[in-house]
Amino acid sequence: MRKLGLLSKAYLVIVFFILYAPIFYLIYYSFNSGGNMSGFESFTLDYYRDLTENTRLIIIVINTLIIALLSAVISTILGVFGALAIVEVKRNRMKSTLLALNNVLIVSPDVIIGASFLILFTIVGIQLGFTSVLLSHVAFCIPIVVIMVLPKLQEMSPSLVDAARDLGATKRDVLMKVIIPYISPGIFAGFFMALTYSLDDFAVTFFVTGNGFSTLAVEIYSMARMGISLEINALTTIIFIITVIVVLAVYIFTRDKRKKGGTVRS
Amino acid sequence: MKALFQTLVVVLILVVGLFFVNHRLNVSEGFSGSDTLTIYNWGDYLDPDLLAKFKEETGLTVVYETFDSNEAMLVKIEQGGTNYDIAVPSEYMINKMIEEDLLLPLDHNKLPNLKHIDPRFMDLVFDPGNQYSIPYFWGTVGIVYNSELLDENIVLEHWDDLWNPKLENEIFLVDSAREVLGFSLNSLHHSLNTTDKEKLIAAKEKLDLLTPNIKAIIGDEMKLLMVNNEAGIGVTWSGDAAEMMWDNEALDYVLPPEGSNIFFDNMVIPKTAKNVEAAHQFIDFMLRPENAAQNAEYIGYSTPNLSALELMDPEIVNDERFYPPDAVVERLEVYENLGKRNLAYYNELFLEFKMHRK
Repeated sequence: MRKLGLLSKAYLVIVFFILYAPIFYLIYYSFNSGGNMSGFESFTLDYYRDLTENTRLIIIVINTLIIALLSAVISTILGVFGALAIVEVKRNRMKSTLLALNNVLIVSPDVIIGASFLILFTIVGIQLGFTSVLLSHVAFCIPIVVIMVLPKLQEMSPSLVDAARDLGATKRDVLMKVIIPYISPGIFAGFFMALTYSLDDFAVTFFVTGNGFSTLAVEIYSMARMGISLEINALTTIIFIITVIVVLAVYIFTRDKRKKGGTVRS
Repeated sequence: MKALFQTLVVVLILVVGLFFVNHRLNVSEGFSGSDTLTIYNWGDYLDPDLLAKFKEETGLTVVYETFDSNEAMLVKIEQGGTNYDIAVPSEYMINKMIEEDLLLPLDHNKLPNLKHIDPRFMDLVFDPGNQYSIPYFWGTVGIVYNSELLDENIVLEHWDDLWNPKLENEIFLVDSAREVLGFSLNSLHHSLNTTDKEKLIAAKEKLDLLTPNIKAIIGDEMKLLMVNNEAGIGVTWSGDAAEMMWDNEALDYVLPPEGSNIFFDNMVIPKTAKNVEAAHQFIDFMLRPENAAQNAEYIGYSTPNLSALELMDPEIVNDERFYPPDAVVERLEVYENLGKRNLAYYNELFLEFKMHRK
């Protein structure tokens, strides 16, 4: 890669500074004993202690994780099947229609999806709470998984499947031993995308929660409306640190994999 | 394939583990017991100590949830998937909920402490005979201002004083159509329930002239911003003003004499209630003078409970800004339910005003 000029470097620094400054501003004030964000008094960990004693918030964090993990797993399974089906469709017109229908769901605003789910659940008579949130998260994650898995399927050479068939593999064998291993990077990518989408979804969840069930995004919103508690800052800090750790872990994990893969192939 | 399978197993184990932890936490907090009372209230609108006291007294567990607008609350209750035992809507919304048959009638025999409520606040147009609702708090719409930030010569007493050209970029307005159009109507000496289009348009045009003075049109954030001296003036509800004044001594509140809105937030039992008995218990608990007094001192809005007033700090009770004398109260108007069409017109005018350029 070409070495960056001074100007480019400065530009990069400024961009990253603008992106990260608000987060660090929040983090900085999470240690403020003054109780608000207008002046720093002295260092304290009070808000972190408050957080650990706030059982309701812990329950909500756990709820959020459960919803994210479950909806990611379910939507990955359904999305992989969906992608397989789309690839199998032979008529081009049909295929692009299906893809377009899938993409419309990704593009359409969360507010509309949330409102329509609220109406749907009302008509069907599903109680608002865990089930309704899970169902809607699964629903908006499926198209994402499809989009992530589809390119892998399309780049797979059909001769691989033909060869397996010639060698006597059953349909099931072809799927389990040829296709799925080949597209598994796409499946992982889809899973993690679904996970993050579910974790930080606010708009859809906002419409379909109720009965004491809440996720972190919705809860932070209602906490922030009430004003000044620095518990929000403390929580943000913890989430930020966890995110950084996860990103680092994924980076190290994939880097090792790639090295290994490289040696095997060469 | 193996990696996929391993991940699946790990995720499922994690989920089961999390479910288990969650269940344990729920049980230890008593959230999942059968004897629960679910309260649906505005954010920061009840002293948490009172909830603890109620739990202790009755042995019931209380689930407390909050909403941020009457409309949001209506949607969740209309939807039917919820089981709130108590809700605290404002008067025009109560009227609407009665019309839509969303409330259960109250059994006054189970509410012996109802006798403490000021008769002025009983039997009002939106709920004749208090069949469905019991007053919780009331308040007014007025002007909160920061005497340190403003020029000494500026007098704030009437709604018209907001139009003072010296107040450029100094005013926060609350983001709510009826409040904002309401004070403009009041400044023109019209009723804030008018459906006369000409008067409404005149009010909107007068508001357009206010735009140079407006800094922002915002919601609950106003409390924080006013306390932090971000602007000199805010048009808001009395209770919010009281809260700001606790945190910043330079702030003061005026209720303009031309008239303003008086609103009531009442406790109701929605049709979806699962524990009607406990709901009555809770309403009566909140009507008890000592509890009402404690709550009023914590929240800052005005309590309709006469016996509670005697228990409260006389400095609060004699404060005419928050407990205005009868002569002033007479000039205050309750929002009437103007019907869908007129409300839509109010909203439309408000939106037009918000988009009006300086």
